[in-house]
Amino acid sequence: MSLEGFEVAVVGAGPAGSAAAITLAREGVQVLLVERGTFPGSKNVFGGRIYSYALKKLLGDSWKDAPVERFVRKEGITFMTSDNAFSFEFESKDAEGSFTAKRAKFDKWLAEEAEKAGASLITESRVDDLIMDGSRVRGIVAGQDKIPTDVVIACDGRAGLASMLEPSQISMGVKDVIELPSEKIEERLGLEPGQGAAHVFIGACSGGLRGGGFLYTNQDSLALGMVVGGDDVSSQKTQSYSFMEKLREHPKVQRFIKGGKTVEYDAHMIPEAGPKMLSRPYTDGMVVAGDAAGHLLNNGYTFRGVDMAIQAGVAAAQTVLEARKKKDYSANSLKVFERKLHEDPALKDMYTFHRVPAYLRNRRLYTVYPELVCSAAEAVYRVDGTGKRKISREVRLQAKGRVSIFTLIRDLIRGARTF
Amino acid sequence: MPTEESLTLDKRLALVSFAKDAEPFIVVDTDKCNHCESKPCLYICPAEVYAWKEKLNYNTEGCMETGACLIVCHKIGAGAISWKYPSGGKGVAFKLG
Repeated sequence: MSLEGFEVAVVGAGPAGSAAAITLAREGVQVLLVERGTFPGSKNVFGGRIYSYALKKLLGDSWKDAPVERFVRKEGITFMTSDNAFSFEFESKDAEGSFTAKRAKFDKWLAEEAEKAGASLITESRVDDLIMDGSRVRGIVAGQDKIPTDVVIACDGRAGLASMLEPSQISMGVKDVIELPSEKIEERLGLEPGQGAAHVFIGACSGGLRGGGFLYTNQDSLALGMVVGGDDVSSQKTQSYSFMEKLREHPKVQRFIKGGKTVEYDAHMIPEAGPKMLSRPYTDGMVVAGDAAGHLLNNGYTFRGVDMAIQAGVAAAQTVLEARKKKDYSANSLKVFERKLHEDPALKDMYTFHRVPAYLRNRRLYTVYPELVCSAAEAVYRVDGTGKRKISREVRLQAKGRVSIFTLIRDLIRGARTF
Repeated sequence: MPTEESLTLDKRLALVSFAKDAEPFIVVDTDKCNHCESKPCLYICPAEVYAWKEKLNYNTEGCMETGACLIVCHKIGAGAISWKYPSGGKGVAFKLG
């Protein structure tokens, strides 16, 4: 393939890059999509769920061709001590709101959609450098190839994050994919055939550190993982992967995975600084979208990466389309990207929940409160003939010695303002 | 159904394929590590690329390319790690992800 004559180079064929490439190619722009893996998705790892809306907006009806594992109909949370579990579940009537997927299939498919739209994809190509003209980006350098373009959209995930992030702003996610027959999955999670579940675990599994566990159901496997804070892991001198065993050994989790066979181990670093991570996601001749610019959101109960990446990729492409009309790719022309990020109804969630990361650094969330919930439930449900207390009295009694009522109320009020 | 035996990290890493890169994509100035008190790379890495045996040892085969070691090393460690992605087509390849 000749690598000349491209107007735009998109670095990284993940969800952000492919969404940008689709948006541009449809408008007749000559786009080169560059992927370092042997195929798009081969380097990419996530928890397991994609919210559908972004894909619907991007692709219309053909979003139905997406390699869906299961549509998520059941949301669950478990607060756990080492031998106790307090769970609740929500069954959604939204049949297609979100789905589980495997990135090796999903990202490959989305990149193929970009090719269908007219983008050119090259794989096994690492972008080593940018072609610079003073402070203006004029293309990319990939291996031996210098590829001049009018503008670059960088969707290269975690490359170059090091200088920007603090250990407290990252989390390490590790995951086992555990094969299990689909009937077993449905039986154990209480699902109709084809339906899926998502479950979050908070408490003992993270050993008191900032973090938690997750479970997503694929068609015939479970994605079971742990996410732990980068600063906590380092300061507590605990290996990030060691939490997987803690999670797997819990009786509640054990019942889900029993008899399964682990077929893959995955890991991914999550940059959690939010959109503040990159105060200016654009420069002369370049815009940055997706993980690389912090376009993702953990608000404590929904974990969103792929939908945010798609939205940000589309916004980056629209920015480039407007700049193209003006034939002006200066930073001044591209800065409209920031406004688009703020105005996009999905991406603005990042700004709405900007206080969440700080709130989630409160260790009581992973120690005191899960224990309190479990021990209060133990006391509330136990009838042993020794006399029962009213619930409010019982909770207060259980809190004693664990957390002061003042701290508890303060955390609740702060929580109410944060979420 | 029998319960799967507890999985060691080695067993887990055996489930992932790696294409060796002839070019060293991680280089550590290990002399600096001798003075590093926190040694955060040993804990953050999900693949135990870094190990301490009287000095810092590292084995890039098995690297899952999260990039987290670079952040912790430079922010709370000795600033000894240079890290970039492996060459195109090399390094870790996930079949599922």
